Amino acid sequence: MRRSLSRRSVLGASATALAAPFLLRRAFAATPIKIGMPTALTGALGEVGQQQKRGALYFAKVQNAKGGLIGRPVEFLIEDTAGDPATCVRKAQEMVERDKVDLLMGVTLSSEALAIVPKLQEWNAIFVSSDDGDGRLTASSFVANFFRANTSGPMDTRTVALWLRHSPLKKFYGIGMDYAWGHNSINSFEKLVKQAKREFLGSVFSPIGTKDFSSYILKIRESGAQAVFIVMQGEDYIAFLSQAHQYRLPQKTLLLTSIVDLASTRAVGDGAVGLLGSSRYCYAYNNPANKAFVANWQKAMGALPDIFEGEQWQACEILAAGIEKAKSIEPAKLRPALEKVAINGVKGHVAMRACDHQAVQQGFMVKVVKQAGETAPVLDVIAVYPAAEVTPACRQETYTD
Amino acid sequence: MPGFLSIECLNALSEAALLFFLGVGLTLIFGIMRIVNFAHGALYMLGAFIGYSVARLTGSFWLALLLAPTAVGLLGSLFEFGILRRLYRRDASAFLMVTFGFALVLGELARLIWGSQSLHVSLPSALSGVVFLFSLPFPVYRLFLIASGAAAALFLWQFLERTRFGLVIRATSQNPEMMQALGTDVALVRRAVFAIGCGLAGLGGVLAAPLVTASLGMAVRVIIDAFVIVIIGGMGSFAGSLLGALLIAFVQVFGEYYFPDLALALMYLVMLLVLVLRPGGLLGKEA
Repeated sequence: MRRSLSRRSVLGASATALAAPFLLRRAFAATPIKIGMPTALTGALGEVGQQQKRGALYFAKVQNAKGGLIGRPVEFLIEDTAGDPATCVRKAQEMVERDKVDLLMGVTLSSEALAIVPKLQEWNAIFVSSDDGDGRLTASSFVANFFRANTSGPMDTRTVALWLRHSPLKKFYGIGMDYAWGHNSINSFEKLVKQAKREFLGSVFSPIGTKDFSSYILKIRESGAQAVFIVMQGEDYIAFLSQAHQYRLPQKTLLLTSIVDLASTRAVGDGAVGLLGSSRYCYAYNNPANKAFVANWQKAMGALPDIFEGEQWQACEILAAGIEKAKSIEPAKLRPALEKVAINGVKGHVAMRACDHQAVQQGFMVKVVKQAGETAPVLDVIAVYPAAEVTPACRQETYTD
Repeated sequence: MPGFLSIECLNALSEAALLFFLGVGLTLIFGIMRIVNFAHGALYMLGAFIGYSVARLTGSFWLALLLAPTAVGLLGSLFEFGILRRLYRRDASAFLMVTFGFALVLGELARLIWGSQSLHVSLPSALSGVVFLFSLPFPVYRLFLIASGAAAALFLWQFLERTRFGLVIRATSQNPEMMQALGTDVALVRRAVFAIGCGLAGLGGVLAAPLVTASLGMAVRVIIDAFVIVIIGGMGSFAGSLLGALLIAFVQVFGEYYFPDLALALMYLVMLLVLVLRPGGLLGKEA
């Protein structure tokens, strides 16, 4: 028997066969979800921005391996702002207008975030913060298109204050970096110290990029404070801690900090041992989601995840949950969905609240300790406070008790 | 009070020492080559990173103090030989662009080699202690900085004033054509001075590393300070860079204590004042 195959059917079949993977790939690789990140990759807080970048790219890799989000791959558009608010606004605007980005993340400095939020409505873009700490972003400067997935500055400070309630320390001093976040957090701390009927002896702010902290260290010593509250990040923080250690400040004054991270403690070395403070994210959190995240991260990156890598991951998870819920990235649909997002993530249960778009989450106190067998100091979680106590009331950045 | 004053003066002197290493290199280079080296901050940063690697590999901070500036100086002379040499007939803007570009390249190179994290440079035990002055602890390392700054100033001064090569450098900076006519290899003098200037920046970087760690931001942080010092002291003036470094360090250290809100502005106010009163700088020639 002769099987006759018409020329036409052969052609047709082979065309379909050839096109099949292409059609499939096209169906899968629908228009990517583009997320703009105007991030401070260089400058005094460059290391913070680099962590945000690593966290975001790792999230994209993991999520895309699972088939993306609502069937679309996730793509981050990352550009350097050098930590300058004007540059940040310009880059964000370019991303929105030129690259048609609807979603923004990864803004490093609060001063940059405060410059961006008034524009969000005009741009019709949603901005999910992964590290901006200034309390005003979810209070007096609140806008509907802004969401804060991370622990805020007042929440960091609150965690330290909750710990202080059970400490015998009476006299405090504050040092912060001279920009929005530094002032905001020192102000919150001062209020909390006074509410706790302890003495706040004064504060000083160092310009971003300060190299020599000798005068500030002398000022802290002369104040007679038992503890100094430090609100710093990046290279300034590292320089301050190194020099404080060289002046033997920790022997007289307890160093309390609003942020404990790995990059700084490693750069300071043994000088960081004994440092005590609030932690926005730490690899040592004891919950199943975090253990899995740390293990996978270590496998992929060959290092422990640091504070802003974890925060960026959490922010991405929250945004992803919102997108899955809304089945869209259109701001009008995404906004109400994000307001109801709750996840069991690396920091335990975290829920976005609708009234001010602050993610309600636990507070952690962490101590830098020296462990036998480890060359670098390690982080140890010494206290965990419930989300309800740590998060301020809606659209507030201060606490009443 | 005597305790406070002496500690603050020592703080200022140690800061001045670091600033001097930067300023003097910049001013030497300007004096002889009439070019503004925008890569100076990046070379300072590179000194810190190379110092970190040497100290880590050999376990010796002292060796880092020797090898890192040598490496940075060599790199400087290569840069002069490979690129700057071809631009001497061009106007100043060419140098500005090229040295600025070199700074960017060095910054990215450092990021590729050492990563974006700040790196800890630990001190040898001889330098990591404290001495007590009026019952206040003061780091031995800061005393070491003051001593190195003073030694370097003294050495450079003697070198420029007393040695034959110093004489050649001074003469070349005043009249290169005449020196060329007299049989001096001006190109070689330029290369040597550029290398010395870069090496001094590298040395400053290694010395600063224990205070601020080896970090990418170092380059940007110091370059403005370095220019302010050189402008205040007078472009090309050796003594001027020393005076500028001392003035800026004292203004910063005492300013940060008494007027912390103005800490950033004070340095520029001093510069403004100097520029209005003596446009060529305190010890500059044009004034």
